[in-house]
Amino acid sequence: MASEFLSPRLRRGDMTLGEKLWQMSWSLVLLVIAIAGVGFLMLYSAANGSMDPWTSRQMARFSVGLVLMLGLALVDVRLFMRYAYAVYGIALALLVLVEVKGTIGMGAQRWIDVGFFQLQPSEVMKIALVLALARYFHGASIDDVGRPGYLLPPIALVLAPVALVLRQPDLGTALMLLMGATVLFFLSGVRMWVFGLVAAVGVGTVPVAWQFLHEYQKKRVLTFLNPENDPLGAGYHIMQSKIALGSGGLFGKGFMQGTQSHLNFLPERQTDFIFTMLAEELGMVGGLILIGLYVLVLIYGFAISLRCRQQFGRLVAIGVTTTFFLYVFINIAMVMGLIPVVGVPLPLISYGGTAMLTLMIGIGIMMSVHVHRDVQMGRRGGYDDD
Amino acid sequence: MMRFPSFRRQPRFVYPGEELRPVRAMGSSLPPQVLDGAARRALETGRTRMLVTAGLFALAFLSISVRLVDVMVLGSDHRAATVHRAAATAPHTERADIVDRNGVVLATNLPAMNLYANAQRVLDPADAASRLVGVLPDLKKSEVFERLSSGRPFIYLARNLTPRQQQVVNDLGIPGVYFEDSEYRATLHGHLASHVLGATDLDNNGIAGVELAFDSALKQRTEPLRLTLDIRVQHAVRKTILDAMAHFKAKAGTAVVLDARTSEILSLVSLPDYDPERFGEASEDARFNRATLGVYEMGSTFKVFNTAMALESGKIRLQDTYDTTKPLRIARFSIRDSHPEDRWLTVSEILVHSSNIGSARIAMDIGPDGQRAFLGSLGLLGPIATGLPESGSPLYPDRWRDVSTMTISFGHGIAVTPVHLATATAAVINGGVLRRATLLPDHIEAEGTRVIQPETSDVVRRLMRLVVQDGTAKKADVVGYQVGGKTGTAEKASGGGYDRKKLRTSFISAFPMNDPKYVVLVVLDEPQGLKETFNFATAGWNAAPTAGRVIEAIAPLLGVFPNHVPTDDKAIREALLKGHVRPYLAATPVSTATTVSTGGVHAPAQ
Repeated sequence: MASEFLSPRLRRGDMTLGEKLWQMSWSLVLLVIAIAGVGFLMLYSAANGSMDPWTSRQMARFSVGLVLMLGLALVDVRLFMRYAYAVYGIALALLVLVEVKGTIGMGAQRWIDVGFFQLQPSEVMKIALVLALARYFHGASIDDVGRPGYLLPPIALVLAPVALVLRQPDLGTALMLLMGATVLFFLSGVRMWVFGLVAAVGVGTVPVAWQFLHEYQKKRVLTFLNPENDPLGAGYHIMQSKIALGSGGLFGKGFMQGTQSHLNFLPERQTDFIFTMLAEELGMVGGLILIGLYVLVLIYGFAISLRCRQQFGRLVAIGVTTTFFLYVFINIAMVMGLIPVVGVPLPLISYGGTAMLTLMIGIGIMMSVHVHRDVQMGRRGGYDDD
Repeated sequence: MMRFPSFRRQPRFVYPGEELRPVRAMGSSLPPQVLDGAARRALETGRTRMLVTAGLFALAFLSISVRLVDVMVLGSDHRAATVHRAAATAPHTERADIVDRNGVVLATNLPAMNLYANAQRVLDPADAASRLVGVLPDLKKSEVFERLSSGRPFIYLARNLTPRQQQVVNDLGIPGVYFEDSEYRATLHGHLASHVLGATDLDNNGIAGVELAFDSALKQRTEPLRLTLDIRVQHAVRKTILDAMAHFKAKAGTAVVLDARTSEILSLVSLPDYDPERFGEASEDARFNRATLGVYEMGSTFKVFNTAMALESGKIRLQDTYDTTKPLRIARFSIRDSHPEDRWLTVSEILVHSSNIGSARIAMDIGPDGQRAFLGSLGLLGPIATGLPESGSPLYPDRWRDVSTMTISFGHGIAVTPVHLATATAAVINGGVLRRATLLPDHIEAEGTRVIQPETSDVVRRLMRLVVQDGTAKKADVVGYQVGGKTGTAEKASGGGYDRKKLRTSFISAFPMNDPKYVVLVVLDEPQGLKETFNFATAGWNAAPTAGRVIEAIAPLLGVFPNHVPTDDKAIREALLKGHVRPYLAATPVSTATTVSTGGVHAPAQ
């Protein structure tokens, strides 16, 4: 084993396809398939025991995602490093494009129609931002990170897409980008006082910014923060979700037996509230097992990050893991009424292609990091055998 | 493969992740790398922070797991969920509902939307007008255009939009056009109770009927305003009068149903009527309340009061006879009978055969002062107090001379409203107590005023029953309900005199006559003679049968049970006609299914 580390051949990354396939973490692939399988079952139940309209399409999408994920895992990690800024630039340009199109087309539109599917630039940005920040901090020494001036470019990298996404307006995605970036800054060794300062400035700006908001914007923010003000809208969803959860009990009502969800009391049961349906039918035990599966994915992410020998790979793995974590946490906390309602799907389970593709691409890149864990990388991404 | 030249400048490079490498343990061939302070610190910071992050993630998952257990099994959140469900309350409206005696809603306020414009902000009035008219076809395009280009900052375009219409207009997205919250007074039964309810204007202020009479009360109270009206009875009565008007080709029709004891108005119909929600479009004629505002000469129906007055005076007995052989001449008038009997008639016969001559002679025996005092005590000379703003005052001569006394005895030379007639009749037949007619349960007079003795009342009841059994109103009888009544046919005043061709026929009745519960008055305006009525157009041929149809329809609704047991026979009736009151036969039940006690408590067997 040890010799592998030291092999200049591995450090250079000269691996055959067979070696790459051998190195791949097949157990992670199995885990992903298992979670998606749970999703297929729940979608089958949501359609009252029918493959149509959801399960069959979800399976097709997952197949595409799986091929994409495995393909990306074979790509040399240095290519991601090399094109990180380019990917970021394209994502940013797409965000500007929807903003401009939205202004001209007189309506909030968050996606671009590319024929066979609808591309959401904000989703692309979730991965692109991770890559860009990882590349920036890859070459940074601990002293570099200590200089405030050095932090200005990455902060700009974060704030530009956040501002664009906020204008859509999509507060949920903006906050996800912000939180993911914060974790990367944290792991890159940015000094604690910087976080303190940013937090203080942020809190201080809120009352000032509040003055400049229109009345309807204020109302929208307040409703977002407190959906109980709107008991027939967002509050209604949460109320129904809690009733369904409470009726599930320890072991649930049984597969396809959930009354709250099948009698249409539970809204959005195939998308954002699918966890509630699962918990109603499979009970608290089923819910905890699914949470356990997600925790396993996160543990894989941390393990890959720890095991990787370059800063870029470590940051990418943590970035993807954090994005995954945010999806899971926000969705489950939302359906249980712990946080306000935001439209965040449950990864790999909720019906819908965008989030699933985003995460499978992310996991693919993470697996590439794992395959190429020993590849040596210079400050700017090249190989140098010292 | 690209090469980056900057790498060599860092001789002491440590591969990230190198700290995990089991170098020494596994026997590395490379020399162990020496980490200086800064590098070690960086590595330690990285590891610590990764641990902190993992810890935070773990904490977050722990919290959602705990929450899951809490929500699903411990269930401490259930109370919070029920709090939200208690929030719905009835919407507050600016004007209280009006309900009938059984609580059926007659008028209520519904939320609606008014559409207005700030004409200064409308960009293209022509385009906006055509689009608005496209979705609201009731609007006139030229009118809307005129308003939108008026330059005024506030101008109404349409009132009382439904939510669907509001959505459609909103979807047009026309700048400068806005909505205003409003309320719409909905009269749920349309024409049915129009003359009672009245109407409101655009700003929901009462302008007629109960809406006007209790305008301020309706605006203040939160509880519905309850009327004595019974909407079921109202429907049956209005339908019957409408049919009768069509059948007899009458111009107008009026009906009043009164509780004989309390004088509550259960039904008040004046036709033609109007839709309260379109009060402005109704004709003057339709808006005229014939039941409470119109005063009319009621004709022979007044003979009931004349008879009661005679008996109550104590001077005249039922068997006293009067000469009706020739017309009565006084001053330049000549009083005749339409069905001359050409003999002396008893007081009974004068009523049953409706003799004008006899009535006039009876009245002269009492004298003008006595007659005036008696009619005054029945409330026939003062205004009625139903509460409706549409209240007519009776017309009668200022100087009550002999000739007036004679004509008033048979209902000419005095004009009262139908409600006057019904109220006074209720007093005469209910045992002799007058209570003013009312539309509000709260205003029922508990005591009332005694106007005649119970014995007199009893005789009048028997005589009215006799009119239906053997007199002019045979067509009013309804088997089992002991209808009693008196017809009246008056020539309508036109110019300086009367028009023989234009009649106003009326029938005042009550049922069941052995224990009167309800008074029913029907008035038809200019009914025509038909083939089947042998071209007669007098009350006995139209108003009387119509009243019979009304009683037939409303008696079951009002819980009056039919009694098929005869209480009198031909001998008793003939004796009554001669002026001898004989006791009714005991009500011996024929079969249990039709047993009805006379005490007023009715119980159907099985």
